[in-house]
Amino acid sequence: MSEVINHNGKIVADQRPADDIAGQSPLHHADLNSLASQGPQTGGVTIQERPLQGLLNLRCNKADKKQVTAVKKLLGVALPCDPLSSASNDDSVIRWLSPDEWLVSVDGAKAFELEAAFQANMPGHYSLVNVSGGYTILEISGDHAVDVIKKSAPIDVHQSSFPNDKVVSTVFAKSGAIIRRIAEDHFELIIRRSFADYLWIWLQDASREYGLVVKR
Amino acid sequence: MSQDNRLKSGGRIDRSKPLYFVFNNVSYTGYQGDTLASALLANGVDIVGRSFKYSRPRGIVTAGSDEPNAVIQLGSSEATQTPNVRATQQELFEGLVASSTNGWPNVNVDAMGLVGKIGGKMMPPGFYYKTFMFPQSLWETYETFIRKAAGLGRSSYENDVDTYDKINQFCDVLVVGAGPAGLAAALTAARGGARVIIADEQSEFGGSLLDSKQIIDGKPAAEWVSEVVSELATFADVLLLPRSTVNGYHDQNFLTIHQRCTNHFGDQAPANQVRERMHRVRAKRVILATGAQERPLVFGNNDLPGCMTSTAISTYINRYGVAPGKNLVVMTTNDYGYQAAIDWHDAGREVSAVVDTRANVQGRCVDEMQARGIRIISGSAITEVHGSKRVKAVTIAPINADGSAVAGPAAKWKVDTVASSGGWSPAVHLSCHTGSRPVWKEDIIGFVPGPTVQEQLTAGGINGCYETGAVLKQGIDAGLTALQELGLNEVTVAVPSAEDLSRTPAMPLFLVPHKKPTSRAPKQFVDYQNDVTAAGIELSCREGFQSIEHVKRYTALGFGTDQGKLGNINGMAIAANFQNKTIPETGTTVFRPNYTPITFGAIAGRDVGSLFDPKRYTAMQPWHIAHGAKFEDVGQWKRPWYFPKAGESMHDALNRECKATRESVGILDASTLGKIDIQGKDAREFLGRVYTNAWAKLAVGKCRYGLMCGEDGMVFDDGVTSCLAENHFLMTTTTGGAARVLEWLEIYHQTEWPELEVYFTSVTDHWSTMTISGPNSRALLAELTDCDLSNDSFGFMDWKAATVAGVPARIFRISFTGELSYEINVQANYGLHVWEQLFAKGEKYNLTPYGTETMHILRAEKGFIIVGQDTDGSIHPHDLGMSWAVADNKPFSYIGKRGMAREDCVRPDRKQLVGLKTTDPLVVIPEGSQGVFDPNTPIPMPMVGHVTSSYWSENLGHSIAMAFVKGGLSKMGEKVYYPQADGTVIEAEICSPVFLDPKGDRQNV
Repeated sequence: MSEVINHNGKIVADQRPADDIAGQSPLHHADLNSLASQGPQTGGVTIQERPLQGLLNLRCNKADKKQVTAVKKLLGVALPCDPLSSASNDDSVIRWLSPDEWLVSVDGAKAFELEAAFQANMPGHYSLVNVSGGYTILEISGDHAVDVIKKSAPIDVHQSSFPNDKVVSTVFAKSGAIIRRIAEDHFELIIRRSFADYLWIWLQDASREYGLVVKR
Repeated sequence: MSQDNRLKSGGRIDRSKPLYFVFNNVSYTGYQGDTLASALLANGVDIVGRSFKYSRPRGIVTAGSDEPNAVIQLGSSEATQTPNVRATQQELFEGLVASSTNGWPNVNVDAMGLVGKIGGKMMPPGFYYKTFMFPQSLWETYETFIRKAAGLGRSSYENDVDTYDKINQFCDVLVVGAGPAGLAAALTAARGGARVIIADEQSEFGGSLLDSKQIIDGKPAAEWVSEVVSELATFADVLLLPRSTVNGYHDQNFLTIHQRCTNHFGDQAPANQVRERMHRVRAKRVILATGAQERPLVFGNNDLPGCMTSTAISTYINRYGVAPGKNLVVMTTNDYGYQAAIDWHDAGREVSAVVDTRANVQGRCVDEMQARGIRIISGSAITEVHGSKRVKAVTIAPINADGSAVAGPAAKWKVDTVASSGGWSPAVHLSCHTGSRPVWKEDIIGFVPGPTVQEQLTAGGINGCYETGAVLKQGIDAGLTALQELGLNEVTVAVPSAEDLSRTPAMPLFLVPHKKPTSRAPKQFVDYQNDVTAAGIELSCREGFQSIEHVKRYTALGFGTDQGKLGNINGMAIAANFQNKTIPETGTTVFRPNYTPITFGAIAGRDVGSLFDPKRYTAMQPWHIAHGAKFEDVGQWKRPWYFPKAGESMHDALNRECKATRESVGILDASTLGKIDIQGKDAREFLGRVYTNAWAKLAVGKCRYGLMCGEDGMVFDDGVTSCLAENHFLMTTTTGGAARVLEWLEIYHQTEWPELEVYFTSVTDHWSTMTISGPNSRALLAELTDCDLSNDSFGFMDWKAATVAGVPARIFRISFTGELSYEINVQANYGLHVWEQLFAKGEKYNLTPYGTETMHILRAEKGFIIVGQDTDGSIHPHDLGMSWAVADNKPFSYIGKRGMAREDCVRPDRKQLVGLKTTDPLVVIPEGSQGVFDPNTPIPMPMVGHVTSSYWSENLGHSIAMAFVKGGLSKMGEKVYYPQADGTVIEAEICSPVFLDPKGDRQNV
């Protein structure tokens, strides 16, 4: 293994190989690129995968001012402490998952760098776990994106109840998803690897009546 | 056939769009805008079915969802068969094919009819219970015959070709019903800024206004409706749902709506469209504006085709331009019944008379009749109808003031159509769904919604309010109340002007008297669909079934697909009268969801076929498929079961996989195992509390097996946990236990030991895990890694970080086969790459993929347990002979310690896990076989435990088994016997479950 850092009795390691070994996202087998180039170009729902992103599960104490300050310094974004909220800048998005749990996304190549930076600078009791291989990110947009979500999840997606940047971890079909609203008709779904095939079939099915466009 | 009953003009149909359809194999024509029922009536089709028990001919009675008779089978092909569709609700479409659901060989000549006629006298209520239940053993035979005779539609033998789905909705106000009250309520709420859903079961909004000649705000009612609907459509937060029945009202204002999206287009939905959709609505307020349904009167032979409710007559004339007969006689107990006579007359047909059961008829009704020259016969009733397949004549006789007896000589009138009105029954069904009991209101002679705990408002007919102006006001008031309660905008809404007519009091009459007693009179039907008669209800009371719930079950009153919408009130009133009780004393049965039948498709939604249950896959799934794996369900995971080569049986494949692994090297995809990353300075302490064994001294770089127990001391999970760094561990769990274990750790951390500094994160999906196992696994791995694999530097139960096939990995030298094994974990996006690289180098070692079945055999050869197979929630570690994995001397207790010390848990004769060697080495004992110590004791023999795992071991050349045996750990070498269902007995000797390499030499090389 290229590099394993042991600090305060915890280890982090770069889990990515050299660039000549291509990673395969959980939807690699679905060949979304071909669907994007050969499938319909207009429709009521557009789905785009953001494969191979860096995903880090952060657990820490929001009441610990040192930790909150450190997180802001490390990520350049304040830790969103309100339930169901998120915060972001150009490099990263932090999603509130539970009172002491957040999901941070960064460029896939930058995950290890960030883990190492946390190792060096994050004070107190916390954990930051690389879960990049365990999920993939889908963006769903279009006039009927809302309808697809309504068919899939028992949550109120009206703007008054689900404004931009809100994050909800909930049941999605018979699996689950972390849903974040990016814009009026634009949502992000973070789904687990092992359920990705099921959810991809589900999403295609739920979008059928509106017309599905797959984007690269 | 021409549409003889179609009026020259009028109705909301499009005469320029004729539609062809087939009913009972005869072709007819109707128009766009017709229902199947209106088109059948236009074509003079009198008989639409045969009755359930007596097989009497039946015709259309109503024009709505309360229809009891016109329940038809729809579908032009096998795949599109839909049973129990109400013809009164099915919109006509080109090419519609429908048939009666009962009546064989056809409804006009019915073989069962004869049986019904002969059998009728011999088939009182309770007949089935009384007759066919004895002897009970023959019930199944009877049932087949009865079902065939009864027939209430059938489902398709083929898969449904259509798509059905579900959608979640949230709103401030859900308005149920889009008649005058509902529209007014919805408009008010919408203007106040509420998020509104308004649903109505009909194809268009308007409810009763669609067949009314009323003037609202100076314009025809239908025009007012279309203006309101247009305004509602302008609000972004208003959802209009026509063709949508609010079918269920559940707790916390959760309601289900069954929307028929494309049923009006054809048998099959247009491409990519959904046929029916279930809306799952969470509403802050519900406004029930469900209106009221007209009660027909109960009189002799009132089920003959041609007998209808009076509102149905008006609806068919005004909405569909159909007058379903030539000469009409109306019987009514109230002013509303006169409308049928007015509409019939104004349509140019003959009204013979209006028979009013009230002695003194006054007011506007009299004027209207005089203006049209229609005779009113007051203080009288139609006691009986004559005819065989259609009304031919009626008997009219004077009745006494309370309607209990015929009071004079009868006269016979020739007519072909009878309209009857017994007054209105508010549609209280939905309000009852959450447990609220309706309340009898004497002044309206009907039940209205009772007190409820739901956030529910009501408006209009459901409250017994029937005058349009008053109904509109109630709707607006309900809308305003909802706005106020929800803290939304206040609005002022002017009540539309509508002429409210003065009405004279109605007469309560639920059973029209006959000169003969009820039991001897011609059948007076209360519930058409279940053939429940007034005589049947009285018989029920006489036989002691007097509570209305007992009457219902004894007679089947209200049991049909129509749920007794027409008959329930009449039925309970008849039961009350017969017992000299009042209706409030008798009470009413209550309604349950659903309001009308719903298709299974809409209930299932898209959770069918390949989407029925999620299938979870590992990163290596494409390889498994490409290499012919057979899969086994483990939870929702699809795990490779075995990898048969061409021509191999399962047995052959397993033997080959087992041998290859023990002789060279095999590989298992173990990615499904649960994996939990544990961090914090108290992680080690926490592990010591949730596992039964000791963790204090586990060094960095080492791995250890642990057993996890519940508070009761019973094993519920196991796995290997590795010390990654002093404060950092990786726990593995069983595949099925992953989520439960994480939850278990969180619960104990959050509720019992919040002071411990430890965090848990699931990494199950993040790591791909592949286990190479067998004497050549070291040689194979050495070709792909920079890691020193020598036994000295990388011993058994060690782990190391290294690169495998260019990918950063964690390698764990742990073994579930007893062989030299390496479990390689890589980030899952690179799992397939590493797997393929192992095969690229593996050919010379005969690298053999194996699945769960070979894994089971190999671990059983070593006596390793599988939690859930060799445990069942009643087994503690000592029962498993695993006392070595229990450390009772830990400073802090651990979960399960007290549990397994209970008196019952320390009995010496507990069932204990042992190995079995069969006396005949070729016999494999069936798993689940029960053991006995003496096969010659009489049955029932004392059973001493069952076989949990049993396999053929190709490596050992004999069968192996693990089993629970009472006191088995102290019975080594003794015999135990397994009697089989075929009478044979398998003899086995109790032995250690470790069949292979008891010293562990193979895994330590």
